[in-house]
Amino acid sequence: MTGQFTRRGALGLGAAGLISAGAAGGVLLSPRLASAAPDKKFKIALSNSFIGNKWRIEMENVFKAALQMEPFKSEVEGSWFNSGNDVSKQSQQISNLIAKKVDAIVVNAASPTGLNGILTQATERGIVVVSFDNVVTAPSVLKVNTDQVAFGKQLAEFLVKKMNGKGNVIMVTGVAGTTVDEDRNKGAEAVWAQHPDIKVVNRYTGMWDSATAERNTAAILPSLPQIDGIWCQGGTDGVLKAFISAKRPLPPTAGEAENGFRKFMLGYMDHKVDGLSIGQPPFLSVISLELARRILANKYPKKDITIPFPFVTNDTVKQGETVFEKLPDSFFTDFTDAGPNATVKLCVEAATDGKACSGELNVNLPSA
Amino acid sequence: MSAEAAIERRRTRRLTHFLAQNVGLVLALAMLVMAVVLYGAAYWIEQTALPGMFELTSTVNNTMALVLCGMGQAFVVVTRGLDLSVGGVMDLANALAAVHIKDSVGSMVGWSLAILAIGALLGLVNGLLVAVGRLQPILVTLATLSIYQGLAIRVLPQPGGSIPPVYSSVLVNPNWPTALVYVLVVALIWYAFRRSSLGVSIFALGNDEQAARANGIDTVRAQIAAFTLSGLMSAAAGLFLAATATAGDATTGNGFTLSSIVAVVLGGMNLFGGRGSGVGVIAGAFVTTMIVNILFFSNIDPLYQSFYEGLFLVIAVVLGALISRLMRRRSR
Repeated sequence: MTGQFTRRGALGLGAAGLISAGAAGGVLLSPRLASAAPDKKFKIALSNSFIGNKWRIEMENVFKAALQMEPFKSEVEGSWFNSGNDVSKQSQQISNLIAKKVDAIVVNAASPTGLNGILTQATERGIVVVSFDNVVTAPSVLKVNTDQVAFGKQLAEFLVKKMNGKGNVIMVTGVAGTTVDEDRNKGAEAVWAQHPDIKVVNRYTGMWDSATAERNTAAILPSLPQIDGIWCQGGTDGVLKAFISAKRPLPPTAGEAENGFRKFMLGYMDHKVDGLSIGQPPFLSVISLELARRILANKYPKKDITIPFPFVTNDTVKQGETVFEKLPDSFFTDFTDAGPNATVKLCVEAATDGKACSGELNVNLPSA
Repeated sequence: MSAEAAIERRRTRRLTHFLAQNVGLVLALAMLVMAVVLYGAAYWIEQTALPGMFELTSTVNNTMALVLCGMGQAFVVVTRGLDLSVGGVMDLANALAAVHIKDSVGSMVGWSLAILAIGALLGLVNGLLVAVGRLQPILVTLATLSIYQGLAIRVLPQPGGSIPPVYSSVLVNPNWPTALVYVLVVALIWYAFRRSSLGVSIFALGNDEQAARANGIDTVRAQIAAFTLSGLMSAAAGLFLAATATAGDATTGNGFTLSSIVAVVLGGMNLFGGRGSGVGVIAGAFVTTMIVNILFFSNIDPLYQSFYEGLFLVIAVVLGALISRLMRRRSR
């Protein structure tokens, strides 16, 4: 077979021929490294799509930090890759991971469906594939996520309560075309549908990015009537800053877990906002890593996991724990869970620099 | 001077002339060979093995969509235009495929042909606006890009749908690099095009529109044909994209507008029209995939990957331009 392909490739295109020659050479020359030594580390790779916002950077930082902490340090050989929002590129990187014979792939996908082909090939080869955040629809791939519909609902219900079921709301949405964005909007719309006196006066994207949200809000605000509530999927601090520049009062705000937003909840830039801050936790990457590790060690069944959202209100927000005066506004403060039933507890250095925290890292997966 | 020496000199001159004429193609192929060697080396260092059948198959399968839309872009670039709607046509083809192609042979063949026809029609619209409406190609296709993307989202508002496994394995078989056959077909299409009267008129149009017209070439028809071919090839690219994904997403084609231009440039085509080879564009498409592979296996910090990708491109383009200028001056 190989010979035939070599010939065909060479006829068509020198390049393809060369690759085939490589193929033939690969088969002939090089016995693959013997695998399956008993105390071998698990090779687990993170395949991330775009890395253009703080959340993704934190997500990767906590992943790196976890790899330097026990039990991962001695059991896992980790690696991470970014492809940008380019499905072909991410697909090609995942092919390379398969070629590298990794044991598990943890993936934050550029498209919910675009990687199904290659990820199914991976699972067919016995690789454990866990998708998180922007999960994929392929049935053989495990999913770790939060309930995004509940996210949208919870934010909307907070506003309904604060506004006594009446008034004008703006919706600042996320990156269109992603499941997360759609689900969150769906959750909010379900709540608005039950409260006809709440009017959504505008709806625009903030791209889950503070700067973009601020720019888009500033552009649209002059055309808007009085706003009684802000529903924001991401970039919340940017939206509030645009309100302040436009000399508008800050209405009750339901938003993400940006440090800047939480600073406003405590009082910041001479303004205070009544808010609910829920975060999509960046440590989803760590939960997925743990799930992959346990499955590879035969300690956990192959099943999907939904974890609860970490959230704070004006009553519970706390300096040094869930909001950080010295850190930038766009920092995501939900890098760690808190409380006795926390899913995972991480230190701030893990999120900012990818540095290991002291002690072991315990991840509490839901009981199997 | 002996007769042999004269023949010998004529031969070398003919060779230099050929090289000068096809400098883009030669450079593109050389770049591809270099990229493959680098990839093999990086792979060997990482894995102490050479890439095998799986690597070849996945590389070809993942590059097919870019090969097709790059070729589509090439038809337009030859006329001294640019087709920015490539990504939009791919989105629409991808969405239509995921929604409509069902498990029967009739559905697969019928819908594939229908989608190709729709792609050609969208290209025709571009062509008519540009050639008959006498509008700038960039403006026209920038506008139609949004329109086609909008239509795609209408067809498939949320990522989903499905592609029958049989269809996927005919187009992009995951186990064997059978998609190389399609690469060959695309190359043959290019050669057939180059020799056809249509090809001659499109190249003439790109070289010098006035001269072409003075020589009785119907430049309006040629321009319309180039855009129609681009739409057709982009639709085919959308089908391959859907087949590799096994499902549809009305936004995954977006990035291909830019990467098709990258493939064309790496393929040694002249953006000012009238010069270049489609085979070079195929090589250019594979070079972009190879760059991803090389960076992957050389363990470069992922945060700097796009930086190095850009650097690769700049170096390739600058070197290509320098060498081709040098060779043309020499052959004069």
